[in-house]
Amino acid sequence: MKEKVVIKGTKSGIILVLSPEESFETLKMAVAEKFEKSADFLGEAQKAIQFQGKQLTDEQKMELVTVIQSHCRLSIVCIMENDDKLEKSFQETIAKQQSMANQNSGQFFKGNLRSGQVLDVETSIIIIGDVKAGAKVISRGNVIILGSLKGNVYAGADGNYNAFVVALDMDPMQIRIADTIARSPDKPKRSKTKETKIAFFENGNIYIEPLDRDVINDIRL
Amino acid sequence: MGEVIVITSGKGGVGKTTTTANVGTGLAMLGKKVVLIDTDIGLRNLDVVMGLENRIVYNLVDVVENNCRIKQALIKDKRYPNLYLLPSAQTKDKTAVSPEQMKKLADELREEFDYILMDCPAGIEQGFKNAIAGADRALVVTTPEVSAVRDADRIIGLLEANEITQTHLVVNRLRMEMVKEGNMMSSDDVVEILAIDLIGVVPDDEQIVISTNNGEPLVGSESKAGKAYMNICHRILGEDVPYLDLEETNGFFKKFASIFKK
Amino acid sequence: MSFLSNFFKGSENSSDIAKNRLKVAITSDRAVCSPEIMEQMKNDIIEVISKYLDIDTDGLDIKVTKTELDESSGTINALLANIPIKEGSRNFRKR
Repeated sequence: MKEKVVIKGTKSGIILVLSPEESFETLKMAVAEKFEKSADFLGEAQKAIQFQGKQLTDEQKMELVTVIQSHCRLSIVCIMENDDKLEKSFQETIAKQQSMANQNSGQFFKGNLRSGQVLDVETSIIIIGDVKAGAKVISRGNVIILGSLKGNVYAGADGNYNAFVVALDMDPMQIRIADTIARSPDKPKRSKTKETKIAFFENGNIYIEPLDRDVINDIRL
Repeated sequence: MGEVIVITSGKGGVGKTTTTANVGTGLAMLGKKVVLIDTDIGLRNLDVVMGLENRIVYNLVDVVENNCRIKQALIKDKRYPNLYLLPSAQTKDKTAVSPEQMKKLADELREEFDYILMDCPAGIEQGFKNAIAGADRALVVTTPEVSAVRDADRIIGLLEANEITQTHLVVNRLRMEMVKEGNMMSSDDVVEILAIDLIGVVPDDEQIVISTNNGEPLVGSESKAGKAYMNICHRILGEDVPYLDLEETNGFFKKFASIFKK
Repeated sequence: MSFLSNFFKGSENSSDIAKNRLKVAITSDRAVCSPEIMEQMKNDIIEVISKYLDIDTDGLDIKVTKTELDESSGTINALLANIPIKEGSRNFRKR
């Protein structure tokens, strides 16, 4: 007997093979039944989905997605068209979705980062401590340092130009936002006052300015 | 075709990195196209001595692992346009690179540069093996102290075993007044023990500390160490340069010139 | 102070002491071969001596040690080889 509905899992997506002989209503019930049974196996995850076998209209596809989401704990982030580079685009879409979510969430790190140490995080990061010369912080989102920054920071590591870096004492070796890199001047001017500053990207350049009201108003999260 | 020179010592802290920075800069001042490679993975230093630490984006390990092209990782010096630095990685360890990979890299750089200087880490383990892998000749740096000289002898033996036959000695941090008192071995003494050709004697000079603080090699300056390093550069190019009179008042050191002429 | 201590020690100053100590240390450093080289040397010795004598290759032992030649000269490094000759073998075989 041929199955009406077959679920195929890939790393980041699901391929749903529907029997072309069956009516949409029959398939809808079969899908509901199937996903309810497999709910525990499938678990809780963000997935992309692709339909195969039967031609469906966009409305029908959306209806099936609703059915799936109400019968298991999966969250379907997008519907994929048939594609050779299926898996790759699945992953990209999921990663994008995640990174957008990550940019607005954050983590804390307490301690000093010393030369040779790298802190690499998916989210924004708040560091309670110093980032010393030779240390490196990489974040997909923003970097806030409650301490001095003398090392390297790479904010918006997956290409987000809105990312910014804040430090209580801003004396970085290098700051990178998306794909733009700024480095410290060769002849350092020793400013005696420690002032909270922000580094941000604008018109192809990275600017470092005191963190005042005007600048705060310009921050886009 | 360029020449690959490894700067090595065995013992740490005798001035390999300072020598690499100054000899490299000196050769560039003499019009040669030079690249300095920091092979001390995990403990990079040459970048700060050269004052280029704020420009590092890619490093030696990135090149070897094909994360970037060689040209992307080369940092152009801020003073001399024909001088480049390939910095080491700070976050990896020595096993990230193999001697074969270093040899291949050196051979690629030979096509474009007149001199490739390898700043070798202390010790005789993998880092040392990486640094000497592609080398045509070696500068062995030592200070006139028993520990440094003994390690230098071990290094010379290892270089010979690896068929690097063109090996020259740099006696660093010589203090003439102590030599005169009989409380420091002279460069003659060191050469006698190690039995290799001398290529330079660099006096202990506080200007070195100042130049390292500023990240600007002092080669070519009027300081004694600056002159001594420039003389080493001329000798690397095969020129016959008399040895510096490290003691202005009399010609005690002049005899070196006659003894060590090739 | 350094003048005084030099004076009492006689002619030998600290740089001469350093030089002499180094010479001894380096000679013994150089004499110590790596295990691979020792093994190679052992095989070569066996090959040469076997031309003339039946030797017990398993009992053969070579090492570098410090030894005293006579009372006047100090210790020197020497290669010691202990090569047992097989019993009943006819010495000085014809080549």
